[in-house]
Amino acid sequence: MPVVTSHEAVDVVVVGSGASGAAATWRLAKSGFKVVCLEQGPWVDHSKHPATKANWEELTRTSWAYHPNIRQGLADYSVNDDASAIKVLMFNAVGGSTIHWTAHVPRFHPSDFRVRTLDGVADDWPITYWDLEPFYDENDVMMGCSGISGDPANPDRSPRQMPPLPLGPDGDRMAKAFDRLGWHWWPSDSHVNSQPYRGRLACNNCGPVGWGCSRMAKASTDVTYLPEAVEFGAEVRAESTVYSVVTGGDGRVTGVNYFDAEGHAQWQPANAVILACNGIGTPRMMLHSASESHPAGLANSSGLVGKNLMFHVYAGASGVFPKNEPAYKGPIANIIMSQQFYETDPARGFVRGYTFQMGRSTGPASTAVGGVPWGAGHHQDFIERFGNMSGLGVIGEDLPLETNRVTLDPDRRDRFGIPAPLVEYRLDENSKRLLAHGVRQARTALLEAGATRVIETAQSVNAGWHLMGTARMGEDPGRSVVDGNCQAHDADNLFVIDGSAFVTGGGVNPTPTIQAVALRAADYICRERSDLKR
Amino acid sequence: MPTKQGALTDSDRRNMRVVMDRLIPPVDDLPGAGTMGLLDEIERIASEHDRYRKSLVRFLDALTMDMSVEAEGGFLALSGEQQDEAIREIEESLSKEFANVLEVVYISYYSRPEVHARIGWRTGPLQPLGFTLPPFDESILDTVRKREPFWRQAPD
Ligand SMILES: Cc1cc2nc3c(=O)[nH]c(=O)nc-3n(C[C@H](O)[C@H](O)[C@H](O)COP(=O)(O)OP(=O)(O)OC[C@H]3O[C@@H](n4cnc5c(N)ncnc54)[C@H](O)[C@@H]3O)c2cc1C
Repeated sequence: MPVVTSHEAVDVVVVGSGASGAAATWRLAKSGFKVVCLEQGPWVDHSKHPATKANWEELTRTSWAYHPNIRQGLADYSVNDDASAIKVLMFNAVGGSTIHWTAHVPRFHPSDFRVRTLDGVADDWPITYWDLEPFYDENDVMMGCSGISGDPANPDRSPRQMPPLPLGPDGDRMAKAFDRLGWHWWPSDSHVNSQPYRGRLACNNCGPVGWGCSRMAKASTDVTYLPEAVEFGAEVRAESTVYSVVTGGDGRVTGVNYFDAEGHAQWQPANAVILACNGIGTPRMMLHSASESHPAGLANSSGLVGKNLMFHVYAGASGVFPKNEPAYKGPIANIIMSQQFYETDPARGFVRGYTFQMGRSTGPASTAVGGVPWGAGHHQDFIERFGNMSGLGVIGEDLPLETNRVTLDPDRRDRFGIPAPLVEYRLDENSKRLLAHGVRQARTALLEAGATRVIETAQSVNAGWHLMGTARMGEDPGRSVVDGNCQAHDADNLFVIDGSAFVTGGGVNPTPTIQAVALRAADYICRERSDLKR
Repeated sequence: MPTKQGALTDSDRRNMRVVMDRLIPPVDDLPGAGTMGLLDEIERIASEHDRYRKSLVRFLDALTMDMSVEAEGGFLALSGEQQDEAIREIEESLSKEFANVLEVVYISYYSRPEVHARIGWRTGPLQPLGFTLPPFDESILDTVRKREPFWRQAPD
């Protein structure tokens, strides 16, 4: 690409300002590294989120939709997921997908890092839960965690910054049902403020937390990490789309080519490049950055870049309950979770496990679109459901398969000519059995809670919000892309710090683990890689 | 039939209004979705979002090109039950497009203040009011707290 402007060299370029990129930018800037974070999306105006508009339910399905191909914002690149059993969801802006996320933040379990040793499947991580623990804690301080320690399903953790969000009558009802069944449950850890925290307001229970938060009660990295990072001297260059990572003849990275907001080509030299474009965007960038020294794609001598894509397999059941206090008050999925079926039990017929994440009712249009039939029975069905539904989502661990992968679409390109990611994904037998088990147990729990009707979803298709595994870490350069510090085996000044680096996905929402991994990698750079500082 | 750009003809509009009344029929003192006058809103949303626009066009095309419907003198000449039948056939053959059409009809209908009044939903934006909930009460943990830690130990 012809370069128009060349910028002054920096220590580190971070590509992507979402959960991981923002955390690393903050940590490096705090330690005096000269950091530029390049983000293809714009800064988001939080006063304009859907919840501030009367037509918020229309917006959540159009210009704020989860799928980039539906949203079609200027910063969104098209994703070809026609051949994927799960559709890819993400947000592209300063703050990345944390603008959209629901901020339900369980941690991985110690066993998640040792699946080969414990269950004979997939691979162990080169790091442990205990390696990440201090970084989970550091991240909770930065993002602000509402919750309560003492959960018997997890190792004990430090006191949460704020008490749990209110459970609401629907949460209480579900919790008591779990108690009666003798099943585990615990209030969700959430990066949503239950009290004012670090200049951000407390949540006022409006509901659709997954479409931005005008009170900034939900932690998105544009309002947590990045303002502090900027104070420490980092530069966040929004509306800057990285085209490729450039390497020299020795195979080390020298900087990135990008397009600015006006579409002008730019060159940003750097001592190191950190990729934080998420589990789809990062392999896309690596495959598109093939060069003479990296002919199969950047840092792809193992051939594993783009492979082993994991999403978590999702299913669930919703219970329709007799009329009560309306169950649409409160953030939609930050209530309680159950890890009764998290760890492997061979008697269940599958390995690994899942978390139940409770969800609640929502607005009228979303309720109707959620499955109310048209025609003569419409109004009766709607009235039964509206405000009376509680759901249990099954978040299951999907094991890595090399055939589940991201490659470059030979035909489709974005406005800068970067190929679209082509995503292929299918569920294996283990995942199918796991989901079937989860749906059966969800039904049991909902009926125990008093549901008069249970509506099952055997497998959720629009559920690709967790993007993992496509540049995984490991000790063996032949079987992994980066090492335990997220440093590429093939280039010692290239790092991959987003969910791409995951070896396995656990059975929980991954973002606290993504951020802990990113903080740990940044910490490693600060401590061990002073050679990358001018 | 819709023109190539997707603007609806008068005949499309007449058909669509009736379709909407079949999708969401009258209830209490509210008319059906078509008679309520939501079509302009639906056209506005469709004009802004390709997914809805294309689906609406294909749906209405299918409705007017259905030979059995045409043989009866067109969609409007059918009885209510026959209209439902015709819609159901399209739902089966063009399931994705139909889902989009249904979605945009539901969104428009359930955004109306008079509908909100009937179902007991506070109309308008969710913010800045939000909703009030009692704060978390720790006593709910009494039972689960008695459980011993049961997470699986893992070797280093
Ligand atoms: C609707 C939704 C709900 C979710 N809820 C939860 C939840 O409750 N709990 C949880 O743990 N996780 C949740 N997630 C997942 C969570 O948002 C992600 O795991 C997390 O944001 C991933 O962080 P990341 O840094 O890897 O990528 P992202 O946050 O996706 O950030 C990547 C950034 O890179 C930028 N980028 C990509 N390519 C380029 C390029 N070429 N040039 C410049 N910039 C580029 C993108 O614009 C984007 O801003 C949810 C996700 C969604 C979509």
